[in-house]
Amino acid sequence: MSLLIESQKLKRTGYLPAFLAGGFLAAAFPVVYMMVKAKELTLASGKPIAVLMSANWQMMAMLNILISICGACTMYHTEYADNGTQKMSVLPIRQGNLFFSKFVIAALVLSVMVVTEMAVLAGCAEYWFPSYVFDLTEILKTAGFQIVVTLPTVMLMLVIASACKNMWVSLGIGVILVFTFSIFPQDNAVLGLFPFASPYQVLSTAVENSRTALYVIACGIETALFGIAEVIYLKVRRCYE
Amino acid sequence: MSFLSLVGVEFKKIRRSKIFLILFIPIIMMWIPSIINADMNFDLRGIPITPENNFFIQGFMGMAWFMIPASLVICTVLLNQTERSNKGILKMLSLPVGTAKLCLTKFTVLLILAAVQMIMSIGAYYISAAIVTNTQDYHFILEPLYVCKTVCSIYAGAIPMAAVYLAISTLIQSPIFSVGIGLASIVPSVLMINTKIWFAYPMSYPFYLLMVAYGRVAWGVYETQIAWLPWLPAAAGITILALAVSCIRFGASERR
Repeated sequence: MSLLIESQKLKRTGYLPAFLAGGFLAAAFPVVYMMVKAKELTLASGKPIAVLMSANWQMMAMLNILISICGACTMYHTEYADNGTQKMSVLPIRQGNLFFSKFVIAALVLSVMVVTEMAVLAGCAEYWFPSYVFDLTEILKTAGFQIVVTLPTVMLMLVIASACKNMWVSLGIGVILVFTFSIFPQDNAVLGLFPFASPYQVLSTAVENSRTALYVIACGIETALFGIAEVIYLKVRRCYE
Repeated sequence: MSFLSLVGVEFKKIRRSKIFLILFIPIIMMWIPSIINADMNFDLRGIPITPENNFFIQGFMGMAWFMIPASLVICTVLLNQTERSNKGILKMLSLPVGTAKLCLTKFTVLLILAAVQMIMSIGAYYISAAIVTNTQDYHFILEPLYVCKTVCSIYAGAIPMAAVYLAISTLIQSPIFSVGIGLASIVPSVLMINTKIWFAYPMSYPFYLLMVAYGRVAWGVYETQIAWLPWLPAAAGITILALAVSCIRFGASERR
């Protein structure tokens, strides 16, 4: 029910088109990269998908994060502009439910975006790598891993956006977090688990270091923790409003 | 109303926006890893550069690549949303002030905010360079004239980009698209400066100028001369075009 309401709210904000456009833009990176540097990459050792991921994923993940930030800011911007939240709070709906349906929508569009990117990556591998054999489970595994490691970022960004009334503040905090984690060293194992840093992790390197389970569990716990924190925050905020 | 008093009005509007805090935090964040990893500046990996220059260039790298464009995007959101919330733009449009003048005031405010961030980053550089000089027992402080010149050139390189972002935010009403395009345009700028058409892409100018500064202190890393000829006319053209578009379209959807 509230999922439907939330998606209707987003109808005229251009939420879905923005994510689709972001997905296609991110998917264009490996295509352009392969058109320029096909020779170097096809000679590199390793599985084609792993080679393509290590060459392009940093940029694609950054784009995913930035679009997710924009999405989270818009979701709560529609609430706070013209006092939409006050009207929602008089309805017989839990505030937490609103938040979680927003999260479900954000996670779904993120999945659409990542799956699009993975499909294009597979297409690139098919076209440029003669040794590549199409393997659906590998693609799905990679896509699933990348979605799971991005979820804490999406959740935290929604928490930030729900806490800040002004769009530029939530956008500013999000951008500062992206910036901070992009300048810290990426290979640090502990820092790599934080939201805004975990989306840059690639499945093939995680498998190499046998950290896949660690990443999936840690990101799952983080996502749940931020969700709980939001519920507590909403309860506390209601006492002071 | 004179131009200066209009700029004063714009600053009154954003007085309680906490924008200076948002501009200030990334500058601290930028230098913390540099201070912690200061000993890495002695590990030059075969690049012919002195540690003090390395410290300066590496510190400003993230700033020129990501933070200047991102701050400009945040500032355009601020300038737009303060007008649009509670229909402030309608009240401004009903004043006997030209819309083009209003738009140019917004642009001036945007440039002043960027300049404040630059001044803060110079200050932060000297503080962190002093800290590192003490901890590493090596003179890391560069002469002020060189630092100011480099930072000013990066700032000047950001002006066309600011005009483009202002044009995007006036043309596109829906915030997700204007912000999304702004942020997404930052990502490919690293790739763009290595192509032949970098001068057509305003988001890569600050990073290009920093890379040229890098090339000058570390021979062979990048070009040592700024390619003025295709760049300067292109940059001027882009700036004028973007400003003209935003001046014409400013408040157009509200004036219907």
